[in-house]
This record gives sequence, C-alpha cells and structure tokens, in this order.
Amino acid sequence: MMEVKEGMIKATDAFERLVHWTLAISCIILFITGLGMMFHSLNFIGDFMGGLKSLKYVHNIMGLIFGFSMIFTISMWWKEAGVFDLPADWQWIKVAGGYLWHVDKVPEIGKYNPGQKMFFLAVAGCGILMLATGLLMMFQPEFLPMWILRWMYPLHALGFFTLFAFFFVHIYLGTIGNPGSFQAMVHGWVSPGWAKKQHPKWLKEMEEHGTLKIYGGEKKKDTPSH
Amino acid sequence: MAEMIKLYDDAKCTACRGCQLACKQWNEKKAKQTTNYGSYQNPPTLQSNTYMIIHFQDVKDTKGNVKWIFRKESCMHCADAACVTACPTGALYHTEFGTVGLNPDRCIGCKNCVAACPFEVPKYEQETDRVYKCDMCESRLRNNLTPACVKACPTGALKWGEKDAMIKVAADRVKELGGDANTYGDQYVSGTHFMYVLQEKQPVYAALAQNPKVPLAVVAWKNLLNPLSLLAAGGIVVGSFLHYLIHGPKLPDETGETTKKAEGGE
Repeated sequence: MMEVKEGMIKATDAFERLVHWTLAISCIILFITGLGMMFHSLNFIGDFMGGLKSLKYVHNIMGLIFGFSMIFTISMWWKEAGVFDLPADWQWIKVAGGYLWHVDKVPEIGKYNPGQKMFFLAVAGCGILMLATGLLMMFQPEFLPMWILRWMYPLHALGFFTLFAFFFVHIYLGTIGNPGSFQAMVHGWVSPGWAKKQHPKWLKEMEEHGTLKIYGGEKKKDTPSH
Repeated sequence: MAEMIKLYDDAKCTACRGCQLACKQWNEKKAKQTTNYGSYQNPPTLQSNTYMIIHFQDVKDTKGNVKWIFRKESCMHCADAACVTACPTGALYHTEFGTVGLNPDRCIGCKNCVAACPFEVPKYEQETDRVYKCDMCESRLRNNLTPACVKACPTGALKWGEKDAMIKVAADRVKELGGDANTYGDQYVSGTHFMYVLQEKQPVYAALAQNPKVPLAVVAWKNLLNPLSLLAAGGIVVGSFLHYLIHGPKLPDETGETTKKAEGGE
C-alpha cells in the first residue's frame, strides 16, 4: 500500500511534505498542550512535560513554530488551493463532491477540490487568527484596551473549535475515507487510478503541459516548450 | 467556616495607610522605588508586590467645596470570580470563607486572570513569571486571625465578620450616613467578599469599576466555546465513522490503465 510502484504519479514535492508535517506536528502538540490548559480535568497532560508551567512554554514555542510554518503553507499553496475556480468548483460543491449522497458523475476537478480549498482557507484563516490572538494573550500589550484583550480569548477558543473539528475531518478524508491519499504526504506519489478518480482535470492538465512525473519512467517525451 | 466579608467604610477612613503597610509586612513584599507625582496615593495602582492601595481623591461638591475622599482598592473576592473561571491550573480557587485564594506554586503566569478580572486586580510579575493578588491573608484566616489590613486599622474603617452580619452592619451604616451613601459589592458578581460603604455616589470614585460583571468574553470562552469544541470534535468523529459505514470510502479507479498507456512510459 505504502510502497512506490512503477507508473505512480508525483503529487507533492519534498518541501511541501516537510512544511505539511511541521505544521501538522506543531498543530497536534498545540492541541494537546492547549487542552491541558482548557480543562482542569486535563491538567495531568502537564505531568508529561514537567508541570503546567513547562506545558505553557511548550505551547508558546510550538505556537511560534506553527506560525512560521504557516507562512510557507500559505505562500506555497495559495495559488493551487486558495483561489476558487468558478464556475467549475461550484458544480462540485452542488453535489458535495459525491461525498454525501450518490452522484452519477462528479464534476472533474483539478489538483485541489473545493472541499480541500475550504479546508485550506479555514486552516490558513484560523492559523493566522490563532497566531495573532495568541501573541496578544501572551504579551498583553499596554496599548490594547482591556475589553479588546478580553475578546482575544474567546476568539482563540473559536479558532480551536474550528481547527479541532477540521483536524478530524482531515484525518478521516486523508486516510481511510480516500484510500491512496495518505501516501501523497508520505513519499509524494499517488497511483494513476487514484489521480483519475480524485483529480482527473489535474491529470489532464499535467499531460497537456508535460509536467507529469511518473515513477520509473522518464518525463513525457513530447514536452511542449512552456 | 462560614462565609466572611471584609467591610470598608470610607467615611471612617483617615487614609493613614496602616493597612497598606500591614499588607506589605504580612506578605513580605518589599516596596519598589516610585516617583512623586503629587499625590499620597503611592504606588498609583496595584502592583504585583502591592496587593492593596488607598486611593486619594479631591472631589468638589455642588457648593464648590473641596472634599478629600479615600478608597481602599484590593481584590474584591467575588462569589462568581472570573479569575477562577479563567485560571487553567486551579492556582486561583474559592475558599470556604468565600474568599478567592491564590497558590503561587500552581501559577504558570499565563495572565488569563489579568484579562478576565472585571476589577483588573491580578498583576503579573515578570521576574517570577507569576501573577499576584490579595488572598485575604488566607494563612491568617486558617489560624483564626483576621486579615492583616483589618488588624492594623485604627479607626474601625475596616471590619471583618460573617457575611450576613456584615451586610447588616453595612445597611445600618448607609442609613446612619444618609445622603448619597450606598453599599458597593454585595449587588455585583453574585456578591463580593470585600465590600464598601461609600459616602458618595459610585461614579464619583476614580478607577472604581461601574456595574462590574463577569465579562461576556469570559463566559463565551470558558462556558460556551470550550465545551462546544469537544462536542463538535466528538460529532465529527462519530460522523466520519458513520460516513465510512454508510457511504463508504472513495476508492481509486483501478481500471485507470489508459493513463499509463497514454504516457508511453513503462
């Protein structure tokens, strides 16, 4: 399942995967340490880190790493996943990509489907929100009126509400919900069948532009000049 | 132990600041160097090492006479304390006296309470990365002593006693003083365990929180969004499981051999 076979198609490069996992791991550590501070019943999470004070430091430092990888996440995926391709994406949204009820023919979609785009935008938006509110909560600058500072806390909680829910959606859809997807974030190669089913337009575009990379084969021979 | 109240009667206060000194002495907090800004109110606000101060204020009445009024500012020890709600570690807690205690050993210096308190009482100290505030001398209360400030007060402006008795004392004093006299504290945040008998209307006093409440932001954050986020995540997990069972995964199109052929690769 996880091995790279001949004929597989390159979906992500090493840099994308590095950024993804830096963001993902820092995000998970932020979830865990954050939960340790959200409920007294979860204070024991601090015991694994040498107390709640260390847990706070882990949370704050991870926040900076998360924020830093967020810069790369947004800049490298914005063009592909940040902008909707209308009206094609709208057709896909109308049938929910065939995820929720039976759809005979799901509209063909490019590298990222509108669901993935919404996820990306939610993570990017909430990520920036978490970083901004978190920094203000941490430093509590004097110039900030108290009533504004107070609202940083529920906003931080709202960001968590969204990210935590999306996190589980992402795990499900990235693994057992769409078999063959997870490896795109491990070794970066997907099967042709997967690409054909999930992102047929992307496959066609790569074929047209000659940017298709196939494992075990050379690049497409008749590569157009651009 | 019954619920207790510390009562401050500004009409009886001479602003000798004996309480402020006794507070520093009992809590072993050294004073910091301050600068003269033309008032006896020193330091000008609560600090991480100053749990209480006496406010000094000149007030003009309708006839143009100037009056000097005083107010003791410190933690109000709310029955519904936003700081306790906001504290992630339990460093801030309610005691059986009704006071709000603070265990500095459990404080992680997150400053949640600093933002949550409607009276802006808790103060952060950079050097120790902790927050400090008046704990109503819990160490003294546990040994059947009155708070240090009450002990030091020479005029009876500060009183310490059981809640019902003190509320009655306050009501009687308001009647006795007449005019604009009123009580402050018992009607807010489910009742404070430090309360005032004020001789002037509440808005007259500088830096006195008007109509203080547990901030809506704290309720939205702690009582609403925090539990909802777990509920939502739980719903997603169950929903995903049901989706897998009922709708099933989106399987790759493994007949997609055409792609390979078109490629002319291997």
